[in-house]
Amino acid sequence: MQEKPTIAQLEELAYELRYKLLNLCGTYEGIVHIGGDLSVADIFTSLFQYGLNIDPKDIMMPTRDRFILSKGHAAVCMYITMAIRGFFDYDEIVRTYGKLDSAYGMHPCKVQLPGVECSSGSLGHGLALAVGMALSAKQRKEKHRVFCLMGDGETCEGSVWEAAMTGAGYKLGNLVGVIDRNSQLMTTFSDEPVALAPYPDKWRAFGWNVVEVDGHNMASLVAAIDNLPASDSDKPTALVCTTVKGKGVSFMERNLGWHAGALSSEDMKKALDEIGAGRGAK
Amino acid sequence: MVAVTMNFGTFMSARSVVGDTILELGQKDKRIWALTADTGGALSAFKGEFPDRYVDVGIAEQNVVGVAAGLALEGNIPMVMGMIPFMTMRACEQVRTDVCYQNLPVRLIGTGGGLTSGGGSTHNAMEDISIMRSFVNMTVLSIGDPNLIRDAIYASMDLPGPLYIRLAQGKQDAVIYEKGSIKFEFGKGIVARDGSDVTIFAHGEMVRQALEAALKLEEEGKSVRVVDMVSIKPIDEDLIVSCVKETGRIVVVEDHLMTGGLASAVADVMADRGVSPKAFKRLGIPQVFAGFGSGVELRNKYGYGLDATVAALKEVLKA
Repeated sequence: MQEKPTIAQLEELAYELRYKLLNLCGTYEGIVHIGGDLSVADIFTSLFQYGLNIDPKDIMMPTRDRFILSKGHAAVCMYITMAIRGFFDYDEIVRTYGKLDSAYGMHPCKVQLPGVECSSGSLGHGLALAVGMALSAKQRKEKHRVFCLMGDGETCEGSVWEAAMTGAGYKLGNLVGVIDRNSQLMTTFSDEPVALAPYPDKWRAFGWNVVEVDGHNMASLVAAIDNLPASDSDKPTALVCTTVKGKGVSFMERNLGWHAGALSSEDMKKALDEIGAGRGAK
Repeated sequence: MVAVTMNFGTFMSARSVVGDTILELGQKDKRIWALTADTGGALSAFKGEFPDRYVDVGIAEQNVVGVAAGLALEGNIPMVMGMIPFMTMRACEQVRTDVCYQNLPVRLIGTGGGLTSGGGSTHNAMEDISIMRSFVNMTVLSIGDPNLIRDAIYASMDLPGPLYIRLAQGKQDAVIYEKGSIKFEFGKGIVARDGSDVTIFAHGEMVRQALEAALKLEEEGKSVRVVDMVSIKPIDEDLIVSCVKETGRIVVVEDHLMTGGLASAVADVMADRGVSPKAFKRLGIPQVFAGFGSGVELRNKYGYGLDATVAALKEVLKA
C-alpha cells in the first residue's frame, strides 16, 4: 500500500484534478457538468487519494471500500480522479469522452467501465444501493465502508430519505453519506423553492451521525475521514460538506449558468489562470 | 403432455409456496436474502431462521428495490416480495435503472395479479406485464399453479439477470398440474391440454379458466389446445408458430390490459414470423379503471370471464 499523501500533496492533486477537468471542458465538443464537478473536486481528492482503501492494481479487491457516485453527472470528475490514482488512463478519457463506444460517458456505467462500483445518473438512487452494499458487508462481518457521494440537490428526492431511514434502522455504521452541499440545483438555488435547510439537522433527525465539513478545506476533509466512527459502530455518518458550485473559477462560482456548459478556449485559459493563481495559496 | 388436475378442487396459497421455497433456498445458499416493503407475512419463517438476511424497509418500494440492487452488486440473490402495482410502478425506475441496467440477479415476486387484489384500481395490477417486459435484460413469468412457482424459483438460481414473477391473488390458487408432472423451463410454454381446432393462450390464473372453457367446448365436439404461457419473456416463439399452423385459430385470454401483455406478445411473434391465423381474438381488461368486486365478478363484467371465453372460442371456430 502506498504511503498516505500529505495535505499539501492532496491540495496539489486537487489542483491537478481541476486543471484536467477544465482542460476537458475546454476541448470536449459537448457540455460538461463543470459546476458540480468543481464543487466535489476536493471531496473526490480526499476520498480517492487519501481516504478510501482501494488498489488500482486490484480493482475488485474484496476488502476495498465501496464508493457509489449518486450524483452521477459528476462522472467525469470521478474518471479523472481515478485516473490520477492510477485506475484509468487520462489521455484515453480525453480522447474518447462521450464518443461512440467509449466507456467514459456523461453518467457512469458499471457494465461498460469496470472499476466503477455502480451505474448511476438518475438522481436519488445511490443511497439505497449503498444501504444494500452496507447490509451485505455487515452480515458477512466485513470491515470495509460504503461511501455514497450525493449532491444536496438530489436529496430533494424522497428515495434518499427512505434509504436514510433504513441505514439508521439497520444500524449501518459502515455507511458514509458524503453530501456536496453546494446549495444549488440545476436552475435555482436549492433553498429557494425547497426547504432543504436546516440541512444537517435533517440528517440528525433521521438518526445519522452528522459531521459538518468545509468541503474545500483539505485538512478538514482529511480530519473528518480520519475521525469516522468504526465501521462496526451503530450509526451511519453523514459528512455534510459545505461547498461552492464552480469552486475556483470566479465566473462559474455560484453562477446558475454553469451547472453544465462548454468552455471557449479564451475562457478556459482564464479559468486555468485562476486556479493556477489559487494554487498553494492556502 | 402433462397431467392436468381437472377437478380444480385443490387450492394452495401461492404466497406460502413462495415463502417456503425462499426458506429452503436460503438454507442451502447464503447468497439468498428476503426483502419486503411491509408485505413480508409469507417470509416470517425465513425471518425467524435468517434474521440477518431478511430486510423490511417499511412502506418504501423504491427503497426496497434499490437496496436489493445494492445487495446483488455484492454477489447476493435478493428475493423481493410485494404487491404488484407498487413494485412495478412506484419502484418502476429503480427496477429499470438500478436492476435491469446493471443486469443484476434481483428477483421480484409480486402478488395480486390482474384484478384479483380486491382493493380497487389503486391495488389492481393490469399494466405490470407491459411495463416489465419492455425492460432490457428482464425475464417475465406469470404463474398461477402454486407447484409451478416452486419449480420456477428453483430454476431461477441459474438465471444471471433480473426476474419478475407475477402471481395471481396468492392466497387461494388452484393447482392445475399434478406435482412433478411438468418441467419448468424459461422461454417455454406448457401445453396443458392438447387440441387441434383452436389454441387458447393464457397465463397465471387464467389458465384454469381456459381449461374450463376447453372442457365446455369438448362437450360440443370441439378440440381445444390450452397453452400456459408461463414464460412471457422470453416467449416460446416456436410454440406460437406451431399452434398457428396446427390449429389455425388463436384466442388469448389474460387478466391484464388487452394491450401490452401476452396478447401483444403473441401478435408480435405472429407478425414477425409471418404466420397468419384464420382468426385471432384477444380477451382481457379494456381501457378502464375497473372498480370493486371479486376477480371473477370483474372478469365477467369486463368480458373476459368463463362465458366470454367460451363465446370467443365459438366465434373463432366459425372462421
